[in-house]
Amino acid sequence: MKAQDLVDLKQKAVGEAASAAAPSDLEAVRIKYLGRNGLLPEIMKGLKDVAPADRPEVGRLANELKNELQAAIDSRREALETASGAQKAKAFDTTLPGRWRTLGSRHPVTQIIERATSIFSTMGFTVADGPDIETEHHNFDALNTPQEHPSRDPKDTFYLASGLLLRTQTSPVQIRVMENQKPPVRIIAPGRCYRRDATDATHSANFHQIEGLYIDRQVSMADLKGDLTYFARQMMGENVQIRFRPHFFPFTEPSVEYDFSCHVCGGKGCRVCKHSGWIEISGAGMVNPKVLSNVGYNPNEVMGYAFGMGVERIAMILFGIPDIRLLYENDVRFLGQY
Amino acid sequence: MRLPISWLKDYVEFNDTPKGLADKLTFSGTEVEAIETIGSTYEGVVVAEVLKVERHPNADKLTLCTVNPGAGQMVVVCGAPNVKAGGKYPFAQVGVTLPNGLKLKKAKIRGVESEGMLCAEDELGLSTDHAGLLELEAQWAPGTPLSEVLGPPETVLDLEITPNRPDCLSIIGLAREVAAMYGTTLKIPALALAEFGRPAGELTRVEVQDADGCPRYTARIMTGVKIGPSPDWMKRRLEAAGIRAINNVVDITNYVMLECGQPLHAFDQELLEEGRIVVRRVRPGEKMATLDNIERPISESMLVIADAKKPVAVAGVMGGAGSEIRDVTHTVLLESACFKPADIRATSRKLGLSTESSYRFERGVDIGGVEWASRRAAQLMAQLAGATAAPGVIDVYPTPRASRAIPCRYSKVNEVIGLQAAAADMRRVFASLGLGASENGADACLVSVPTFRQDLEREIDLVEEFARIYGLDKIPTPSPRAELAPGASDRSVEAIYFCRNALVGLGLREIMNYSFVSGALLDLFDPNDAARRVVLPNPYSADHSTMRNSLLPQMVETLGRNAARQIREAAFFEIGRVFEKKEDGTFQEETRLAIGLMGAVGRSGFDRHHPVTEEDVFLWTKGIWEALAGTLRLSKAALADEAFAGLEAGRSVSILMDGKPIGRFGLVKAALRKEWRLSEPVGVLEVQFNPLLGRIFASRSFSPVATFPSVGRDMALIVDTSVRHEDILKIVEKVAPKELERVELFDIFAGEGIGVGKKSMAYSFTYRSSERTLTDEDANRYHENVKDAVKKSLGVEIREG
Repeated sequence: MKAQDLVDLKQKAVGEAASAAAPSDLEAVRIKYLGRNGLLPEIMKGLKDVAPADRPEVGRLANELKNELQAAIDSRREALETASGAQKAKAFDTTLPGRWRTLGSRHPVTQIIERATSIFSTMGFTVADGPDIETEHHNFDALNTPQEHPSRDPKDTFYLASGLLLRTQTSPVQIRVMENQKPPVRIIAPGRCYRRDATDATHSANFHQIEGLYIDRQVSMADLKGDLTYFARQMMGENVQIRFRPHFFPFTEPSVEYDFSCHVCGGKGCRVCKHSGWIEISGAGMVNPKVLSNVGYNPNEVMGYAFGMGVERIAMILFGIPDIRLLYENDVRFLGQY
Repeated sequence: MRLPISWLKDYVEFNDTPKGLADKLTFSGTEVEAIETIGSTYEGVVVAEVLKVERHPNADKLTLCTVNPGAGQMVVVCGAPNVKAGGKYPFAQVGVTLPNGLKLKKAKIRGVESEGMLCAEDELGLSTDHAGLLELEAQWAPGTPLSEVLGPPETVLDLEITPNRPDCLSIIGLAREVAAMYGTTLKIPALALAEFGRPAGELTRVEVQDADGCPRYTARIMTGVKIGPSPDWMKRRLEAAGIRAINNVVDITNYVMLECGQPLHAFDQELLEEGRIVVRRVRPGEKMATLDNIERPISESMLVIADAKKPVAVAGVMGGAGSEIRDVTHTVLLESACFKPADIRATSRKLGLSTESSYRFERGVDIGGVEWASRRAAQLMAQLAGATAAPGVIDVYPTPRASRAIPCRYSKVNEVIGLQAAAADMRRVFASLGLGASENGADACLVSVPTFRQDLEREIDLVEEFARIYGLDKIPTPSPRAELAPGASDRSVEAIYFCRNALVGLGLREIMNYSFVSGALLDLFDPNDAARRVVLPNPYSADHSTMRNSLLPQMVETLGRNAARQIREAAFFEIGRVFEKKEDGTFQEETRLAIGLMGAVGRSGFDRHHPVTEEDVFLWTKGIWEALAGTLRLSKAALADEAFAGLEAGRSVSILMDGKPIGRFGLVKAALRKEWRLSEPVGVLEVQFNPLLGRIFASRSFSPVATFPSVGRDMALIVDTSVRHEDILKIVEKVAPKELERVELFDIFAGEGIGVGKKSMAYSFTYRSSERTLTDEDANRYHENVKDAVKKSLGVEIREG
């Protein structure tokens, strides 16, 4: 057996393997060369007859033949299997609908509350809570609402027994927190509120607000503007601007109403912002010193801001929901969109 | 408050468009709700004199009018009842397009050709009035363009005045704002009143019996009054401001009210008993009809203006029918007064009567301006109603209001707003608002507040004044200062999120229902808890009259609503508050979680189309609970069979935590489902929310993961159908070696080959040791023991597995 014979044999064997047309042909090749009685074991047996000087070279070539042929057979087998697999796959319908239980969904109002909460939490705000059935003290008196203020009218507020009512705003949570905690205070209070409004496309007797309150030694209207701007950009979009319009609320002074520039048109005017470029959001202001005194804070030592926002309103703006009643109908086809 | 811009310009100069003015007002705190244009240039409409009025030959209600439109004569058909020969009216020829959009075409009306049209107010776009032709004053020559008569078009701003700014319920008050906004000067009309005759003090007397309710009352006497229509310019202004013109004297009182915010009232003095005024409370049994001829239920808490005998006006609200200005009135007693806001508000509310006057008194009028308003009206009556003012004014003002001075620190202003504004800017802003500001030390000024700004009491009020006039747009927008608030923790909120996310992951959609429902809906579920419900005394509808005491009624209602919309499957959850009245009458609220399932929600793929059984829905509900309890690590939660109102008997269980009931789940009663035509079983769950959250963040310990292989053995039992899964588990538990890792029920079968009243239950057992590899012999030994125990306890047959 000469070295050159082995080189030729390898070429032949690898060629046969590569051209095998079916797995059975391939198996025949394997048996012919590598099988127990195949050519290769024969060569190994005949190695002892090779001249001692040539033995290492012939042995190396025999090994090489074995390895390369095995690789060629493996590779061909894989190719043959893939080809036959693809044929089978022709009967396998990958377009059938998937089978797995679907995820549920959070209510759009919840989504806004959770999003807002997490934005404010990056600014150091924590969540505070209060009851739906409130005292007149927390809902009106402590918030410096005059006795004759129209919001107290039983036409607008649901009263229960004497001195109790369904809270008309989340502001009473401010009072509860301040009555129980020394400054600094930095909270938001999402919650359900009630007003005796007739239900229509934009009014609901039962709605949600998010209240914000920040009290410290030095908190200014500029901080209010800065923080609300940060919130607006996180919530609505990167380039949203905020603007203040002076207003009047008993519990803040100065009081403002704040608007976001329209996140849809960027302020140029579109259907969403009724062509004004701005979307009215809600009210805010510097906490009235009377309110601070009412909870036992010293208005000469601390100050702060408060703001409110309507959750349904933001949900409607952000999600393009045309009618507030959709939020309380709970139609699967509606809920599934958010 | 409606603000005609041309009227505003009488008192303040500014150079801006209506839109520009509106924006400036809005951004200084007076919100402009609408900008409206009244009138037009009336292209082609002229004054015409009607020369002759004849009957239309073919129609009873029409006339043929020969008119002189300035040159020549024309015949027009007219349907107005008020057309008179010699009268002057707006006229448009054929071809003219009227402001209301009507283009006049040549046309025959009942057989007679009309060459034009005499116009009513609606046709000119002045109002919706179509009662008759707009009558013009005789002074206008035929052919005069109507635009000369009616003046140029008027722009009116509709303003929302906040309750703290009654001074802005007047043109002068708004002019003061506008002057501050544009840095110009306010021009208040100079008054020069000529007085003649017997002094007012001899002609009448004023007695104020209730100085608290009426801190100031002035009366003037105007003699020789000639009642007639007001001049057109005044009518136009009143109408632009939203007040109907009546006659010169009444119009003047309204005009001055709009001008300076002080409501006035004119009495016909002859109709006043003894010609004098008493300001007092209503006496028992007194009655009075107001100007609108409606008898008002006045009561003793109310303040009235009376003469010597009887009430003649409800103070500050409305005058009486018996003393009003008549066509023949010649002596007027002019009232200008100040009433206590709370009194007027109470009276107005009690009578259900709100007027321009009560609206202003409720918010507070300028007590310092009471006499000026009276003088201004007297001057106008002299000018426009031929009246003579009797010398002097009766002014009952026992305690003149002291003017207020408020110290204001510049540093405080900047601190609150977050600005670096200069002291001079602050003083300039205060001065522009009519507030005196004098230096008061290095860092402060002393601001004197005139009576017309009674809302300014404290330094913070001045901060606001500065901020809104200086401009809120000048406030910088710093980045948030995210300092830590000590002790702040949102663990409870995170726990809620965790729980909600778990529910979403389990495939449930969150819903939200109202907190109030109808009592009838609650009755459907449990009519026996009515005494514990929180009922609203003033609901806005019967459907929302009762606070919910459970989330389940609305949950089922919501499923029903969806089913009615042909939605077959739904898996819902709601986290919401419920309300209860305790026995001692106090209210309690509690947050709960509710779950509701309908349709084949527990399946996927084609299996969804198989019919849903009661057991399916019950076990899906239970499965959700088990999955939730697992992820919330509620190892101490247990279940116990229990009946509940609204739930199907034998298909409901109670959820217990540490032995205490915290909730329930089961199938909704079939009879109840039918209310919403829900034909398939409906599974619901309701549980207190807070007990679910306690262990989410509890510390966790590690238990080693098994490394040795397990050995499996099966066991199939033929048992009575009454035997429950739990019975078998209990027996197994008692004898199980510590190597028994898991027991799993994998099949239940009843029917052929099993026997009547029997069922086969197949279990798979998994044995594993934590210390070594179990041999077959070990597993057989353990399993034999378990089998023996089951056999003995239940006396059942075991099919080897």
